[in-house]
Amino acid sequence: MATLPDLPPPPDVAGMSLDGTEPFTVDAAENAALCRSTGVEPAADGSAHPIYYFIATQVGMGKTVAGLCAACDFDVDDGPMMGSSAVRFARPIRIGEPYRVSGEITGLVRKRSRKLGVMDVLDYRLRLHDAAGAVILEADNIWVLPRKELA
Amino acid sequence: MTAVGDILPEFVVDPVDAEAMKEWAVFLHDPNPIHLDATVVQAKGLGDRVINQGPANVAYVMNMLAAAFPGATLTAIESRFVDNVYAGERVVASGAITAIADGAVTCTIALVAGDGRPVITGTASMRLP
Repeated sequence: MATLPDLPPPPDVAGMSLDGTEPFTVDAAENAALCRSTGVEPAADGSAHPIYYFIATQVGMGKTVAGLCAACDFDVDDGPMMGSSAVRFARPIRIGEPYRVSGEITGLVRKRSRKLGVMDVLDYRLRLHDAAGAVILEADNIWVLPRKELA
Repeated sequence: MTAVGDILPEFVVDPVDAEAMKEWAVFLHDPNPIHLDATVVQAKGLGDRVINQGPANVAYVMNMLAAAFPGATLTAIESRFVDNVYAGERVVASGAITAIADGAVTCTIALVAGDGRPVITGTASMRLP
C-alpha cells in the first residue's frame, strides 16, 4: 500500500474526541446470553465475558458506528470493515459496574491496496474507566473504509 | 500446558448460527444488515449467507484461551481480521504458547473456517493464577 498524494486528502479528523456521555453497564442477563451464544456458560465470579471490552467501548463512546463513519465522510452503508482490534486490560470488566468511555480518533490515512483499491484506514483509541476514573482497559481499533468512488 | 511451543486445545463452533448474529446486533447496538439479511450480503457481492460479527469471532478465541488456562486472566489480545465467517460454517479457534515469563504466558491465536480459511490471526497474553 502507498499513500496517495495525487488524490484529495481524507478529512482531518485525527484528535476528534470520542468521549462518551452515558455510562455503560454490563447486564447479567445479557452477559449470560452473550456467553451462551458463543458456546460457554457465564463466569461465576461476577466478571463479564472479556469481549465486552469491544462492546462497552463501542456502545459507550460518543458516536455511533454510523456517526464515526460520517465524521470520516464515509457512509456506513458502503461497508466499513474491521481491520484489527487490540486491547490491554488492567483488570476484568465486572457485571453491574458503571463504566465511562473516553477516546479519540488517532488517524485517518488514505491508501491504495491491490485488493480493495482506494481506502481510508481509520485508527481510534478508546478507554474504559471505572466510577473512580481509573482506566481498566485501553483498546486500539483499525477500520478500513473502502473509497470506491476514488478507485 | 506451560511450555513454549505447546499447542492449545481447540475451541470449535459448529455451526455458526445466524440466530446468534441477531443477538449480537443487539449486544453491539449495530444493525448492519450484512449480519441479518442474506439478500443484502448478495447485493453487496459478499457471498450468499449472513456474515458473523467480528467481535463474536474474537469471543470464540477468548473462549479457547479461557479453557486452555483455567483461572488465568486475559491481559491483552490483538486480533487481525483477515476474512469473514458465514452462517452455517464450522470455525476452530486455536493457539500456541510463544513465551512464559513472570507468571504470564503469551500465545499466538487463530480462528480458521471449516475450509481452512484463516479468519483471525493475532497474539494474546494471560496472567496465570
